[in-house]
Amino acid sequence: MASRVITCAALCTISIFCALVVVFSPASHVAIEGFAPQLRIEFGFRVLAAPFLIIIALVAPAVGIWSLRRGGEIEARSLTLFVLLMVAVLLAQSVAAFALAWEAMSLASAFLVAVHHEHRNVRRAVFTYLLMSQLGALCIIAALVLLGVHAQSFRFNDIAASATSVPGGVRSIVIALAVIGFGSKAGLVPLHFWLPRAHPVAPASASALLSGVMLKIAIYGLVLVLFSLAAPVTAGWGIAIMAIGAITALAGGLYAAIDNDLKRLLAYSSIENVGIIVTAIGAAVATSSSPAIAALALLAALFHCLNHAIFKSLLFLGSGSVLQSAGTVDLNQLGGLSRTLPLTAAMMLIGSMAIVGLPPFNGFASEWLVFQSLVQALPAVSQAMQFAIFGSIAALGATGGLAAAAFVKAYAMTFLGGPHQSRARSKETFDPAVIALTLLAGLCVIVGAIPIAFVRLLQPAVSAALPGVVAGSGSDVMSLANHALATLPIKLGSLPCVGGAIMFGLGVVRGMRRVPTWTCGSEVTVRSQYSATAFSKPLRLIFAFVLFPDRQRRIDTGESAWIPTRIRYHVSARYVIDEAARWTAALLQQLARRGRIVQGGLLRVYLLYALAAVAVALVAAR
Amino acid sequence: MSSALQMAVIIAIAPLAQGVMKQLRARLQGRPGPSILQPYRDLRKLWWKEALVAEDTSPIVGIAPGVALGVALTFAAMVPPVFGASWFPSADAIALALVLALGRFIAVLAALDTRSGFSGMAASREMTFGALTEAPLLLALLSAALGGNSSLTHLHAGGSAASGLLAAGALMLVMLCETARVPVDNQETHYELTMIHEGLVLEYSGWQLAATQLAAYIRQASFFVLAAWLLPFGGWVVIAWCIGFLILMPIIETAYAKMRLFEVPQLFTAALVLGIAAITIQIMGIAKL
Repeated sequence: MASRVITCAALCTISIFCALVVVFSPASHVAIEGFAPQLRIEFGFRVLAAPFLIIIALVAPAVGIWSLRRGGEIEARSLTLFVLLMVAVLLAQSVAAFALAWEAMSLASAFLVAVHHEHRNVRRAVFTYLLMSQLGALCIIAALVLLGVHAQSFRFNDIAASATSVPGGVRSIVIALAVIGFGSKAGLVPLHFWLPRAHPVAPASASALLSGVMLKIAIYGLVLVLFSLAAPVTAGWGIAIMAIGAITALAGGLYAAIDNDLKRLLAYSSIENVGIIVTAIGAAVATSSSPAIAALALLAALFHCLNHAIFKSLLFLGSGSVLQSAGTVDLNQLGGLSRTLPLTAAMMLIGSMAIVGLPPFNGFASEWLVFQSLVQALPAVSQAMQFAIFGSIAALGATGGLAAAAFVKAYAMTFLGGPHQSRARSKETFDPAVIALTLLAGLCVIVGAIPIAFVRLLQPAVSAALPGVVAGSGSDVMSLANHALATLPIKLGSLPCVGGAIMFGLGVVRGMRRVPTWTCGSEVTVRSQYSATAFSKPLRLIFAFVLFPDRQRRIDTGESAWIPTRIRYHVSARYVIDEAARWTAALLQQLARRGRIVQGGLLRVYLLYALAAVAVALVAAR
Repeated sequence: MSSALQMAVIIAIAPLAQGVMKQLRARLQGRPGPSILQPYRDLRKLWWKEALVAEDTSPIVGIAPGVALGVALTFAAMVPPVFGASWFPSADAIALALVLALGRFIAVLAALDTRSGFSGMAASREMTFGALTEAPLLLALLSAALGGNSSLTHLHAGGSAASGLLAAGALMLVMLCETARVPVDNQETHYELTMIHEGLVLEYSGWQLAATQLAAYIRQASFFVLAAWLLPFGGWVVIAWCIGFLILMPIIETAYAKMRLFEVPQLFTAALVLGIAAITIQIMGIAKL
């Protein structure tokens, strides 16, 4: 218990620290001179990192409070280190500091994923995660070192100052490396396959931080490279990044809609939301020649980062509460938990509605802003870009619909109807876990009600990224978005809320007669209600050309061949990208096995290698 | 003020529109059909009857009809007025799509809460089709937004006649689904093979059913006015287009049979293609009719 209280206090302290850093924006940097200027370790505050520090400041305390009562002791202890290292990444101001903090953060998160290492699938997930994480880190470090070599300094400020003089070829390589490196961490398709394995097997508090915050750290890295260290980036890259984002969003939405594991569904939905964010970032890159429009897109991306951090950590913590009281997160076994966990159910409803982007919650505000930024860009761009924008709009629209299908299923199968198999053990009390969920759900409501206050918090970062725009100055596009956004969620949400309240009141006043559900005269049983697998069947069949669904049916019959005694039904989908990744891994292993020939174990041969290396070095240095 | 007036008119005549279409459909099928005022009578009758609610359900079931009504009213308020200025100029295509999603989300949660297999079936289909119609809906409504103005009030002024026609075609196909009409759904039957909208409200009765039905009528009427704004001429002609929809819908319903469930996505693909065509015309500036 003591360690949990300490963790909570530590996370709250970190949160206050982040808030203070953002408020006072200290200009001075702390630096440790290493043996060489390349290894200089420098930390400090960069305005671009402010939105992400705000995210940590908002989410970390809630996770700490939730961990007071729920989750295991082990992960509660490791959370502080993980959060601290994420802050370190945000404050890193030199290549060495960034690489060090990034790698440490990855390792810390891998420890969290590995908490339940007694299960084989967890160990495999950790291994895949570490592998992808190292591949990503390799790309990131290579990109940063390339920039550092060009700038002849490894301080971020110097790199940013000489960014405009980076030759085109080097710039392209750097951006490709950054997109691969940060994209693999953020879960961009096709480098996402580790994420739906690693995030769900971690304990809920860790998943909340992984999906809610760490993905945003990867986004921070991407924004840092695209808008500061390697700026300006050509519009072509912008369109490519937009396309990657839109595909990621669609794929994440589709896989979330057909998944039946609550936590894995949430992980796929994280991929989807990262896709939305990256689409907006791509639009910002593609329009960076007209800064006002680019600023709106970047603002939308950062705003969605903030909102996704809030509702995704809410949903993951809620799923942790569900797991602890019902013993499973399998949607085909859950059901009816709103009776035993009424408060958790209420908060999860807010979270689910927010993540789908429904008014009047925060998800609506940022999703509207993302779409709006795409529309605003239309008059200022080339025809090809206009087609790309409409393509993204269609993709994001379909994504929204798929996300709605996913979360209707997730919520209804967990909290509504009757329990399919599992049953919550006892009724919940108003404990710290509920308080944590209430805090996050409250944020969903508040950000939805006064989005402008939070948009203002993000504006300094946007104007730092795009120097052409001055925060608060009435550039047309910004003010238009601000003007409409200020009242839109309330305007759209008020009538449905009032209507719902009136009808609920009428129900109390006029009374409602409770009768059994009509099932053609038969008894209402668990079997009569729809299951999660059945719910997503139309989508599985309609998208069969990418999902390749497969089903196995086994019907046992007793005395009569016509009366089944037991039906076993199992559906599965083929995850094409996962399979491709597996093939790639197998191929690499095969190659490695072939390459083992050079390691004969003979000392003489090794000496020969050394001699050859020296010879090559001499020739190269001549 | 004009927006408020139009909203009032939409609410007032939404059941009438439903009555007219039902009557017309009956006539086309060689039946005398109910009076065009029948929907009003049904609503009055239902409103004074008690509501039966499925046992052991959460408050969502009681709240959902109100949310549906609120969403429908919001939609009616968002539709640009035929004359005068809109009171809601910031209402745009994206906001509309998300408001409609709000109504769908709550209605489907309520349906799933009742544990009825029929409701579950309808819920699953509603969400599936909802996901598939989202992209064509946005493309149709944003085809006029090339100037960077996505407001619904800009729907008519923003596009050319040719792209408007194509976009209206796309919106019509989406509308067939949203208003539960024949190739997609069938309002007249309660067979589990066909029903989507009827399945969702299966467990509702009495005044709660009255609210959901009124919401469906208002949503339908608002859709007609919105689609009419995509068609040429604008202004007062919008009313003529609306009357045109009242005639067209029963004809479609009589001329076509219900599609198989898994063929319906083809309809939405067609809508998507129409939307893409509308946008292509806009971007390339092909037809300045």
